[in-house]
Amino acid sequence: MSADTRPLISVRDLKVHFPVYGGILRHQVGAVKAVDGVSFDLAPGKVLGLVGESGSGKTTVGRAIANLLRATSPDVHLEGTISLDTPSGVVDVNGLSRKAMMPHRSAVQMIFQDPYSSLNPRMTVQGLIQRPLDLHTDLTDAEKLDRVRALLGRVGLQPEYANRYPHEFSGGQRQRIGIARALATQPSLIIADEPVSALDVSVQAQVINLMLELKEEFSLAYLFVAHDLSVVYHISDRIAVMYLGNIVELGDADQVYRNARHPYSRALLSAVPVADPRHDTSGRIQLEGDIPTPMAKPSGCGFRTRCPIAREECSLDIPILTDCGEGHLVACPFHDEAFGVGATPAREGNQRDS
Amino acid sequence: MTDVTNKAAAETVLEVRDLHTCFDIEGESAWAVSGVSFDVHADEFLGIVGESGSGKSVTALSIMRLIPDPPGKIARGEIHFGGRDLLSLDYREMHKVRGREIAMIFQEPMTSLNPVFTIGMQVAETLRHHEEISAAEARARAVEVLTQVGIPDAAKRLDDYPHQFSGGMRQRVMIAMALICRPRILIADEPTTALDVTIQAQILDLMKELLASRRGSSVILITHDLAVVAETCQRVIVMYGGKTQEIADIEDLFDDPRHPYTRGLLDSIPTEQNKGKPLHAIPGNVPGILSFPAGCKYCTRCPEVIERCKIDGPPLVEVAPGHHVRCHLVEDQGAEGSP
Amino acid sequence: MSAYFLRRLLLLIPTFLGITMLVFTVTRFVPGGPIEQMVMKMQMSSTGGEGGSGSGDMATSVELPSAVLAELEKAYHFDKPIHQAYLLWLADLVTLNLGKSYKYNIPVHELIFSRFPVSIYFGLIGFTLAYLVCIPLGVLKAIRHGGVFDFASSATVFIGYSIPGWALGGILLVLFGGGSFWDLVPLGDFRSANWEELSTWGKVTDQLHHTLLPVLAYAVGSFATLTVLMKNSLMENLGQDYVRTAFAKGLPERRVIMLHALRNSLIPICTGLGHAISLIMAGSYLIEKVFNIDGIGYLGYTSIIERDYAVVMGILVINTFLILLGNILSDVLYVLVDPRIRFS
Repeated sequence: MSADTRPLISVRDLKVHFPVYGGILRHQVGAVKAVDGVSFDLAPGKVLGLVGESGSGKTTVGRAIANLLRATSPDVHLEGTISLDTPSGVVDVNGLSRKAMMPHRSAVQMIFQDPYSSLNPRMTVQGLIQRPLDLHTDLTDAEKLDRVRALLGRVGLQPEYANRYPHEFSGGQRQRIGIARALATQPSLIIADEPVSALDVSVQAQVINLMLELKEEFSLAYLFVAHDLSVVYHISDRIAVMYLGNIVELGDADQVYRNARHPYSRALLSAVPVADPRHDTSGRIQLEGDIPTPMAKPSGCGFRTRCPIAREECSLDIPILTDCGEGHLVACPFHDEAFGVGATPAREGNQRDS
Repeated sequence: MTDVTNKAAAETVLEVRDLHTCFDIEGESAWAVSGVSFDVHADEFLGIVGESGSGKSVTALSIMRLIPDPPGKIARGEIHFGGRDLLSLDYREMHKVRGREIAMIFQEPMTSLNPVFTIGMQVAETLRHHEEISAAEARARAVEVLTQVGIPDAAKRLDDYPHQFSGGMRQRVMIAMALICRPRILIADEPTTALDVTIQAQILDLMKELLASRRGSSVILITHDLAVVAETCQRVIVMYGGKTQEIADIEDLFDDPRHPYTRGLLDSIPTEQNKGKPLHAIPGNVPGILSFPAGCKYCTRCPEVIERCKIDGPPLVEVAPGHHVRCHLVEDQGAEGSP
Repeated sequence: MSAYFLRRLLLLIPTFLGITMLVFTVTRFVPGGPIEQMVMKMQMSSTGGEGGSGSGDMATSVELPSAVLAELEKAYHFDKPIHQAYLLWLADLVTLNLGKSYKYNIPVHELIFSRFPVSIYFGLIGFTLAYLVCIPLGVLKAIRHGGVFDFASSATVFIGYSIPGWALGGILLVLFGGGSFWDLVPLGDFRSANWEELSTWGKVTDQLHHTLLPVLAYAVGSFATLTVLMKNSLMENLGQDYVRTAFAKGLPERRVIMLHALRNSLIPICTGLGHAISLIMAGSYLIEKVFNIDGIGYLGYTSIIERDYAVVMGILVINTFLILLGNILSDVLYVLVDPRIRFS
């Protein structure tokens, strides 16, 4: 790869297992395989959408990249590499200690789902946004003050709000504060974990617009973790679909959204309600039952217990991501086979012109 | 279902008239619902759409008379159902309506079931409370209705506790519990918001099937998600700031949204055509419940606002048969009509 | 789950060893140990049993025969290094031999078991009374939250909470016992001296008369915590989603509160029962002293003052076991009352 297309972040065979203890001597009796061998690249200034249902491991991938897992579960078992392209060369940040991560922390920032609990209620907006500046820069107090005000202005809040507390703001405004805080250290990558799903519908679009503007302005890359596929499609350059700790499909946004190949992606897409009363749902692929627990994954393909085209071979090996044309990767050897009705899930629904 | 004759013939099972519900917040009256009127027809899947503070859930809880008092209070209005005004019933009469004639399910299937009782007990409890029925019979009916809502091996799972079920399965149990007395109306308050999309699709399909199989019953679906409404409902009420802003058949609403707020909501949904481009966002934030403006509740965010909007609130006007809008801009186009 | 409880039981051993080792070590180094006490006792008896201020001077003049001293040291294992002595004590314990009280000169277990019934009697009655009063009171307070009743009952239980039990006991005795004000109850003791001669009815009323004030003194401090715990627990549960569901089913308020919400809010109350066994049996030195009751609390206190180490260690062993078992019992109760809890 030439230098200018070098990925900003390159994840290889990432595994995140949370040990489960039991028995008389509290020895390890199993593991929650939240992420079980995930690989992908993310180019600078691009957006990768990570979709999947609860329990798919999408949030854990984001936290592993931000190196936040050790803080909450010290005995987590991490494998694989997360190569981050920094000004001082490529660094594997997977499982780095707090101290070793420090110089790279400013490059990767997070935006969280719940704007109500992710801001310390006892700190003013000034304090919240200034905190990363205290840690990662040696700006003077006056410079920090200016910077915070500039950031507030940039995310669409009045700079005078700097001395207020989080509870004085609405959900959308708090998410803007969260974005300003993430921007403070001038990161190259922002991991956005369900950033709009807790917001009112009429405010979601504002935040999405803001994120798109900021991406252009600061050449940011996003790892956009969400369950709302239409939002993910709107903002993403590439989309990865996760199921039970594995990526089952990865490709350009259009490839995945308009021409999904993996039976799970198809089912997921066809289940998304479409804001068009005439949209035909007869081609919907109804999945039976629930996602299995990541503690007791089915052998072979994790999806086979709910898959409408599952066969005996599926229980043997874990299918690997294979190129089915133009870099569109699918982890299902039988993806060519028709589903019966509605072989391609209809996506004609969302065509309301605005 | 959209032609006019059908609509006129539709039997009305529930009439909400001029409903006002307020909450006492630190000494101030917050009008969560102020003057809401609408009908629910037989065999109808009716959607109520709105954001936080729109009053959609409070409307539903007011119909059930489940507003916590204090701090809440139904201040005014009438709710006609089965020849009675629900708001004038005494508590004992209301207990007979709840669960038996009007049932309700809630957003959080994880916390809406009592964790220390078996699901068999909880499902049968509704029935045993409303009907003279033996414990054994009630259990048999519980198995029957749990099977109907798609709980595999229902007979074996009667003695399981809620935590032994997944979120989707718990919502099915909630539906079973609500339907066991065959109520005329099921109110579903954000029933799928906490669930994954594949499970959401299952639950919405189940509700549609159940409605189709029970003649004369209706569902009121309360949601913030226009796509969910488009998929399930025949008629929609759009609420904002404690008032109904637009009431229309589902296709009319999506084809010809007349209220600027409805248009704003529809325009802000990402579509395939505008991928990567700025969305048509509604400016500003949903005001806090105490800070909605006088006049039109939407006037602080409306791109088409005129002076009049800030002074007096527009009435609900019928702009086409069955299509009602509360906006000064459309007022001249139709005569004032009752919903 | 059985693995969990097995592990908890096994963990008893190191905890138990740690506590006894600590106290054992302390007893070895605190001055005025049993040998010194014994010496003093012998000196007193050698001077005709007259204690008092003069005995100090005599102490220097009387020598304990070295053979007797050696025998004493041997009995207390003072002739061995501390770790060996501890192991020997432990070995005795394994054979359920707690040693002999030097003061009463009877086996320690007999001594302790002779005092237990009195303490258990007051402990159990006080404890039952607390639960019988506090649960309904807490429920009522939750239902009438913010009302006059809620306020007045809070004031009452918190006044009770702020008064030490022995002080209340003293005040009550002055008011109702003896006759300075009202002569309603006896001044103390577990029973009247002539109890054996009373009729059955007389025995019952006599016992009740002697029970009333000590029980109040025992229980007064626990009223506030238990009542407030009950109230808060019920209030919290009344705000839960499943309560709204129960109302939506058409259940009357009574059933929603008394069945659905109460069943859940009793969970923290029930699990507290496990910890209560040690409290029931521990007695209270000060209250027993005020009412002149010969219970375990009083025994424990005097044995420490008089360096009756065999008794001290004996009570410690039993109390430690009760506390540790109480913790496990709490976990067992948790599993029994809350179907969600499965320890692993």
